[in-house]
Amino acid sequence: MSRKRKISLSEDELVLALKNREKIAVEALYDMYSTSLYGVISRIVIDTATAEDVLQDTFVKIWHSFPSYSTEKGRLFTWMVNIARNLAIDKIRSKDFKNQNKNQELENNVTFIDEQRNTVYKPELLGIKELVETLKPEQKLILELVYFKGYTHVEAAEELGIPLGTIKTRLRMAILQLRKHFN
Amino acid sequence: MEDLKTYIESGILELYVLGDLSPEEKLQVEDMASKYPLINAELDEIERSMELFAKNNAMEPADYLRDRVINSINTNLSEEGVIIPNNTKENVISLKQSKAYTFYKYAFAACLALLLASSVALVSLYNRLQESNTEIASLQSDKQRFANTVSLKDGELEVLQDASFKFLKLQGTAKSPVSQITVAWSPAKKKVWIDMRSMKMPVNDKEHQYQLWALVAGKPVDLGVFDKNADTADMKEMKPIATANAFAVTLEPRGGSVSPTMDEMMVIGKF
Repeated sequence: MSRKRKISLSEDELVLALKNREKIAVEALYDMYSTSLYGVISRIVIDTATAEDVLQDTFVKIWHSFPSYSTEKGRLFTWMVNIARNLAIDKIRSKDFKNQNKNQELENNVTFIDEQRNTVYKPELLGIKELVETLKPEQKLILELVYFKGYTHVEAAEELGIPLGTIKTRLRMAILQLRKHFN
Repeated sequence: MEDLKTYIESGILELYVLGDLSPEEKLQVEDMASKYPLINAELDEIERSMELFAKNNAMEPADYLRDRVINSINTNLSEEGVIIPNNTKENVISLKQSKAYTFYKYAFAACLALLLASSVALVSLYNRLQESNTEIASLQSDKQRFANTVSLKDGELEVLQDASFKFLKLQGTAKSPVSQITVAWSPAKKKVWIDMRSMKMPVNDKEHQYQLWALVAGKPVDLGVFDKNADTADMKEMKPIATANAFAVTLEPRGGSVSPTMDEMMVIGKF
């Protein structure tokens, strides 16, 4: 199938179209945000087929939950990426997914462990190289745990044996670093 | 302002953007953001940077996923009944009826058709049976009639072939000069027949009948009654008599009389 021209709207136009349940909004939503959301999902869920399922579930949930979104609560993407992250994290924590991985462990031990390492330790994980280099190791780790592993900051504090305040500060510093980079 | 700075630096806004706050804390942040533009601006900065972060880590999903995702939402869209674009109908796969259900449906229809056809055939067969029965009855009555006719003809033939029969033509009297009856009589067998076919007599009415008499030693003896109808065409056997001098026919009241009414004598013949 030939790729259709991608549809792009301003965020305000998109929100309005979604509110009016217009068909065009579905396509615009996908064309504007599927790559960003899929990038996040793929880093949480390694398996491609599972990541694709999660992406589909994400858009379906966005569509159904849209009436609960309000521009006053923040940017559209923030709301959507949290839906995507929650679904992806639910998926890797689900019993089915764990069993699937156990089976893989027997069959494909080495590859699987490598994949696990990839998600955890590869520096590319946190995006473009220059960006990763600007982040300190502890900033990378906290962002990894909270953003891609679904830890709450409380859980991360327990896991790392660090006070809650420090966790929060590190997270803030990591994001400040990102802000600097993009500015 | 110092308090706001501390609030911002606590890192709570980052946790808000990452969705890592309790509902109460979230409401508190939203409340603060609506009150203080500084906090709102800070939140917006964090959101934008995280959005850019995601954009920089973007991955292109497989091409086929676009149609899959959009179709799955459009299916829901149609179900909501808000907007039904024409082309979504292609995406809605109509539920097929189960094969078993279809089979029973057709089986039932077939049974019904068979029952109907059987009933029609039964009624038609019953009608034909009735017709056949009627036909058989009519054939049997025909056969009976033929048998009767044959036995009658046998009787007639016997009379004609039997040498002991004598034939006597009774001639018309003055009262009815054209009348004529042929009587066959066998004194040996005591049998008397009259030939209805050659009989020339006026047709009698319903109140009267002709009566045949034998004259034995001058006395009339009743030999039975008969009618002259338009269609009488057989020989008729009358009462037996061994001896007779003459035969005569009178017109009597229906059923006959004990003694003949001489005034009404139609024909007479002597041996």
